[in-house]
Amino acid sequence: MTADDPRYGTEVRRRMASLPGVGRFDPAADVAVGRAGDREQGAEVALHCRVAGRRVTEVRFQAFGCPHFLAAASWLSERLPGAAQQELAAWDWREAAGALDVPAAKFGRLLTLQDAVRDVARNWPGNPVPSV
Amino acid sequence: MSDVIYLDNAATTAVDPRVVEAMLECLGPSGDYANPSSVGHPPGRRARARVEQARAEVAALVGADPVQVIFTSGATEADNLAILGAARFHRERGRHVVTSRTEHPAVLDACRQLEREGVAVTYLKPGPDGIVEPAQVEAALRSDTLLVSLMHVNNEIGVAQDIGAVGRLCRERGVLFHVDAAQGAGKLPLDVNRDCIDLLALTAHKVHGPKGAGALCVRREPRLGLVPLLHGGGQERGLRSGTLATHQVVGLGAAYRIAADEMEADAARIGALRERLWRGLSALPGVLLNGHPTRRVPGILSVTFDGVEGESLLYALPGLAVSSGSACATTSGEPSYVLRALGRSDRLAQSTLRLSLGRFSTAEQVDYAIEAIAASVSRLRLVAPRMDP
Repeated sequence: MTADDPRYGTEVRRRMASLPGVGRFDPAADVAVGRAGDREQGAEVALHCRVAGRRVTEVRFQAFGCPHFLAAASWLSERLPGAAQQELAAWDWREAAGALDVPAAKFGRLLTLQDAVRDVARNWPGNPVPSV
Repeated sequence: MSDVIYLDNAATTAVDPRVVEAMLECLGPSGDYANPSSVGHPPGRRARARVEQARAEVAALVGADPVQVIFTSGATEADNLAILGAARFHRERGRHVVTSRTEHPAVLDACRQLEREGVAVTYLKPGPDGIVEPAQVEAALRSDTLLVSLMHVNNEIGVAQDIGAVGRLCRERGVLFHVDAAQGAGKLPLDVNRDCIDLLALTAHKVHGPKGAGALCVRREPRLGLVPLLHGGGQERGLRSGTLATHQVVGLGAAYRIAADEMEADAARIGALRERLWRGLSALPGVLLNGHPTRRVPGILSVTFDGVEGESLLYALPGLAVSSGSACATTSGEPSYVLRALGRSDRLAQSTLRLSLGRFSTAEQVDYAIEAIAASVSRLRLVAPRMDP
């Protein structure tokens, strides 16, 4: 892969260079974790969200998948801070597809990200599962 | 290109400068560019002589008589001419074909076409090491079996089949035997008479010759009939119409002559580089070799890196030109059907790289590849979620 590979847009390439947001938080009362995917299907992600004041304050991710998927997980780590539980429960994968210029063949993998974001909402510290 | 280390020689190879030189002699205004069928004038006869010299060079590599060699555009055309041509010509003799699940698409798709024409096809499943045992072939033969098609060397994993044993079996049973030797010719010894091969598909570009040049070696004694795919001027004994591309044919001949002369030395050097590469990569945890450890062509190494996604690994290796284990990494990302046939899971098939070495590969390139792959594998494993809950 080189910078002129037309399969990957500028934002994907930028994020793949250093994968900002990669990592995890140790389990804690203020940390909600959302997981989704399956390595057998080629995409798996864990989103670790620190929560304060009923909003996400910080996100770390771990991911297994193609460059578009890793870049989208990285993008989410900057997109989700500030979001409330209800926003996560309603988050739609198309936002990442547009931001990262993800090809249609990879849309299924973004659904895995959507599942993980909504899983964070379900695992929100001390709160019931929101209705979407 | 010069800043990228090329380890994708199973996909195609650089043309050897000696081959380029021979081809150039057939292209310019002072070269042997005439139509080799125009034997009524000296330039045509010179071109014809060039073509016949190339035919002899191709034949010599595989122990054939030059008259057996039919020039084609490559192995895909040769495979199609062999399989479709034989099945259509001998349709009254048999309506069953045996092949394996790990053949190149040129063979598998030709077999699927035969199925649409009413021919039954048995697809043998190789063992976990990629080997199709002769006993499997024997068990699959039926009274109406016309043809067995088995590749010499697999293009993804580099495993070499026991072509001779299968050929002798087919000869004893009166069944035609076709071999796709695109990856093996010029790298491992091959002899159409010793190995009882009736139809042998060859290509130039896997052995430092030009793309767009290949051949089908057809048994002559007794003569084997084929229905041609192309109709026109009746070139190549009526089996492959179309003006011969003299420079391409000459390139094929030169590549095969060089391969014959240097096969032993190339095999030793490239095989040692492959072992150096494997030793370096296998020092990493969670690394698996695909295919039989010893029955293989010198230059191909297929390695699975457990816990690493193949497309991201390729992305992380901008300094290396290698292939993933996906059949089509650019779109669907479908796992390789070859690796799946060996029993690898989808996950492991998608975590696979094929690294293939050639005549111009060096130890320095191999050492760089080991270092780059080790660093990228470690990084991607750190990025991935832990497998424990």
